Amino acid sequence: MTTTQLSASSVRAAGRAQGTPGRRSRLGRHANLILGAIGLAAVLGAWQICAATGIVDPGFSSSPSGAFSSLVQLFRTGQIWSPLGQTLSIVLWGMLISIVAGIPFGLLIGRNKVLYGLTDPLISIMYSVPYVVFLPMLIFWFGIGANARLVIVVWSALFPLLINVIAGARNLDANHLQVSRAFCASRWMTLRSVAFPATLPYILAGIRQAVGRALIGAIVAELFMGSSGLGYFVQLKTSNFDMDDAMAAIVVIAAIAIVLTRGVAYLERRLTFWSGSD
Amino acid sequence: MNLARPKLVIEDLRLGHWSRRGGSFALACDGLSFEVAENEFIAIVGPSGCGKTTFLTALAGLTPVASGRLELNDAQIAGPAPDRSLVFQQASLFPWRDVKANIEFGLKAQGRLDGKGRERVAELVSLVGLAGKEGKYPRELSGGMSQRVNLARALATDPDLLLLDEPFSALDAQTRELMQEELTRVWQADGAGSGKTAVFVTHDVPEAVFLADRVVVFSSGPARLVEIVEVDLPRPRTAELKRSARFQQISDHILSLVMSQSQPGRRPEYDDDDAVVGQ
Repeated sequence: MTTTQLSASSVRAAGRAQGTPGRRSRLGRHANLILGAIGLAAVLGAWQICAATGIVDPGFSSSPSGAFSSLVQLFRTGQIWSPLGQTLSIVLWGMLISIVAGIPFGLLIGRNKVLYGLTDPLISIMYSVPYVVFLPMLIFWFGIGANARLVIVVWSALFPLLINVIAGARNLDANHLQVSRAFCASRWMTLRSVAFPATLPYILAGIRQAVGRALIGAIVAELFMGSSGLGYFVQLKTSNFDMDDAMAAIVVIAAIAIVLTRGVAYLERRLTFWSGSD
Repeated sequence: MNLARPKLVIEDLRLGHWSRRGGSFALACDGLSFEVAENEFIAIVGPSGCGKTTFLTALAGLTPVASGRLELNDAQIAGPAPDRSLVFQQASLFPWRDVKANIEFGLKAQGRLDGKGRERVAELVSLVGLAGKEGKYPRELSGGMSQRVNLARALATDPDLLLLDEPFSALDAQTRELMQEELTRVWQADGAGSGKTAVFVTHDVPEAVFLADRVVVFSSGPARLVEIVEVDLPRPRTAELKRSARFQQISDHILSLVMSQSQPGRRPEYDDDDAVVGQ
C-alpha cells in the first residue's frame, strides 16, 4: 500500500490491495507501522548514544537531540520559512509545468503511431540518462537563476510523467475504443472520455514518480547553483559546520518528500478506485 | 413479415480483412444475399469462426464492405452512424463510469444528452431491471448485470437497428436463460409497436430460435448463406416455449444444418466448439 516504485504494475497492485481491505491486512499495516517506528528509534537511539558518549563528534555528525532542538529553533525564529517556501514553490511550479505539458503530449504521442515512433527513442534516452549529468550544460545555457532551477525541476519531472502517460495511452483497451467508434464519438470525446480516464491510473503513477524526482531536482539545483531554498540552506550550514541546522533542514526535506508522495498516493486511491479488479 | 419494404438489404456482399503480412485478403463473408424487414428480429448462427461477427461489425460500420450492397433504409452503410447500436460480446463497459453514466455514453457522444435523453436513460434503467443500481461501478456488477447495462447503453440512442454480438455467451447457463427472456421482454416493450429491427449473432441454436423471427444459417468460413429458417412460434415467448415440440423441431433442423457445415474438412481440435453448438 505504501509502494514507492512506480511501474504500471504497482498501480494495479495498489488498486487490488485497496479493493480488499481485510482485517488481516489492516493488522499487518499496524504491525508494520510499529516495526518501522522501532527500527527508526533504534537507529536514532544508537546515534544519540554515540554522540553523547563521544564515540563520534557531534560537531561533525550532529545528533538527534541537537537536530531536533535546531529544528524547533528554526521554526521558532522563522529562519526556515523562506528556504522552505522557495523549495516548495519551485517544486510546485515545476510540477505544474510538467503536468500541463506532459499529459496532453503524452496522450498525443501514445495515440499517434508516427509521433510515438519519432519520439520514443529520444524520450527513453532522456528518461534513462541521469539528468544530473546535464546540470553543467544547463547552467551554461540558463545561468544559475531561479529560471535555470525551474528548468532542472521540469527536466527531471517531465520524463517519468511522459513515459507513464504514453504507456497508459498505448495500453488502451481496444474494446473501449470500438465502443467509442460504434457510438460515433468524436475524436475529442474519445480522447477526453475514454483515453483520458483509462490513462488516469498511469498519469497518477507518473505524477507520483515525477514529484519525487522534481524534489530531487530542486534540491540538487539549489545545492549547486542556489542562493536560496532548502538545498542551499543545507549547503550553507554544512560549510559553516552548523551540522544541527543542516540535519534539521534535511528532516524538513524528508517531511516534504513524504507528504508529496503520500498526497499523490491518496489522490490515486480517490480517483482510480474503479480500477480495482478486471 | 412485411417484406415489401425491406429495412436492411444485403446483396452479393463480400467482407474480409487485409492481412498485415503478405498483404493478402482473407475472405470472411462471400456472396451473402438476404433482406431483413422492419421490426424483425434476425438471429445468425454458424460454426465458430465463420465470419458472423465480421458481418455484424460490417453492419455496425466498423468493418468496411469489400463489395456488394449493404443498405439500411436504402442507404449503403459506410461507417458507424447513430441509427445503429452494438451490444458487445465482452465486458466493454467503461470501468470509470457508473451504470447510469455508461448507459448515457452513446447519447453523450451524439450530443443528445438533454432532458429527453436523461428521461430515456431513466426509463431504460428500470426497463432492463437496474433500478437502484445506477450508482454502481462495473467492477461491482455480475456478468448478467453488466450485459443489462450493455443492452441499455445500446438502446439508449434509440437506434433503428440493434446489433447484438453473442451478448450472453460469457454468462452461466441460468443467467443466460434469464437474459434471453429479459431481452425478448425488453425488445417487445421498448419503443413503439413490436420492437426494433434486431440482428443477433450467436452460436447457441436454441437461443437463436427462442429469440428470432427468422434464423439465418451461415456456412463455415468464408460465410455463405446456407438457409433462412422461419421461426413460426407465437410471441410473447416464455421459457416454457423451449419445451414445446415445434421449438425442438426447428432447433433440431437448424442444428443439423450447422453441424453439416462443421463436418467437412474440419480438424479435430475444432470439436470443442461444435460441442457448444450442440448443447
